[in-house]
Amino acid sequence: METASLHTDHSPRGSRGAIHPLTNQRLECDTGYQRSRAPRLRSQGRPARPMAIKDVSFEELAVRVAADKDQEAFRLLFDHFGPRLKSHLMGLGLPDRQAEDVAQDVMITLWQKAEKYDPKKAKLSTWLFRVARNRFIDLTRKQKYPEVNADDHMGHLVSDDETDAGAVAGQQRVAVAAALTQLKPNQRKVVELSFFEELSHGQIAERLQLPLGTVKSRLRLAFDVLRRELGVFQ
Amino acid sequence: MNKPVLITDEWVMSYAAGALSDSHALLVATHAWYHPEVQQRISDAEAIGGALIEARDEVVMSQGSFDAMMSRLNEPVAGSEVAEIAEVRDADMPAPLAQWLGKSWDELKWKKMGAGLSRVPLQVGPDGEKLWLLKAKAGVSIPIHDHNGLEMTLVMKGSYKVGSQHFGPGSLEVADHEISDHLPVIGEDEDCICLVVTEGNIVPHSFIGKMIRPFIGL
Repeated sequence: METASLHTDHSPRGSRGAIHPLTNQRLECDTGYQRSRAPRLRSQGRPARPMAIKDVSFEELAVRVAADKDQEAFRLLFDHFGPRLKSHLMGLGLPDRQAEDVAQDVMITLWQKAEKYDPKKAKLSTWLFRVARNRFIDLTRKQKYPEVNADDHMGHLVSDDETDAGAVAGQQRVAVAAALTQLKPNQRKVVELSFFEELSHGQIAERLQLPLGTVKSRLRLAFDVLRRELGVFQ
Repeated sequence: MNKPVLITDEWVMSYAAGALSDSHALLVATHAWYHPEVQQRISDAEAIGGALIEARDEVVMSQGSFDAMMSRLNEPVAGSEVAEIAEVRDADMPAPLAQWLGKSWDELKWKKMGAGLSRVPLQVGPDGEKLWLLKAKAGVSIPIHDHNGLEMTLVMKGSYKVGSQHFGPGSLEVADHEISDHLPVIGEDEDCICLVVTEGNIVPHSFIGKMIRPFIGL
């Protein structure tokens, strides 16, 4: 798998997603150009000066929050994810005010624990989803949601020699959204009832008037489709 | 030895979604503790959750929301603190279970069920699902029984066989009403300890069968 470059570079928002190999930089003859362009090449870690910060990926912004407590980066993340998290939490049944508080809590958790976020292992949206899920369950149930690695929202889920799939995740925000459109409507429905309403297999079966086995097979098929579309698995 | 039996994807999806009961979620997390492959599948399913959040319509945040949040950046967020995993835990006790129990194998209070079997009832969930630990002595056969309702059994110590299928540590057996004449035989080498979730919505029906059903009413 050609994933070496993916470990250090994630697609920026917008369309400028191409990775610039270092060799391109060396081919530039105009020294002034090279100098001014250099910060745009993110394959060498964080740029020296913020270029247009809006061109930085969410994952990179989170890394800046972790490294520098960068409030400008945090603001951009808040502006993007805050309204979506609030929307998600309202969908789960929280009233407006509480949904906003919890969305804020999720972002505060990012601020406080950003160093636990590893862009090689997950998209930021995955990490935030997990925090929001757990926080919502904390609020609505008596118990915490059991996790494999509760102390680390990403966990050490993959060993070093298996990080390819996780690294690819950073590239796949667009791909996942596109993959979701590949689901049949009835597959998408069971996915949404699971993720948006946290319904169990039995509850979905009841809601949709379907046999339990049909609900389960649709969920399995949906996961298969998404896996295939994402190319995460061989 | 056969390959371990891993959980199927509808459970992975529902776990990731937060749609499982506490008991089922604990069973899945404990099972995943044994298997990086299952952890990766969960992680991928959680990426679907992330993508769904990305695809959400934005709603309006209240005026000054960012500043309000910034004013409490250093306050502990309720519910975000992480319970400490018991400092001393048995190496062969999966971390999610150790965290949930807060005790070691030796501290568990087993109740005899007869026939070489004992149990520790852990909790009954809102839909009647029962979470419990089962211990079976090496070499015993569990009385023949049918299933009437879903039952998930995760082996943590020892092993058992059903027909030619071998279930060792980390293996998960999902049994439902389609399975009848279920006759698990416990491995000879070691006592077998399992984490079990039994769904008992209307008529509680036990893993062990009629003979010992009365003992399971947690």
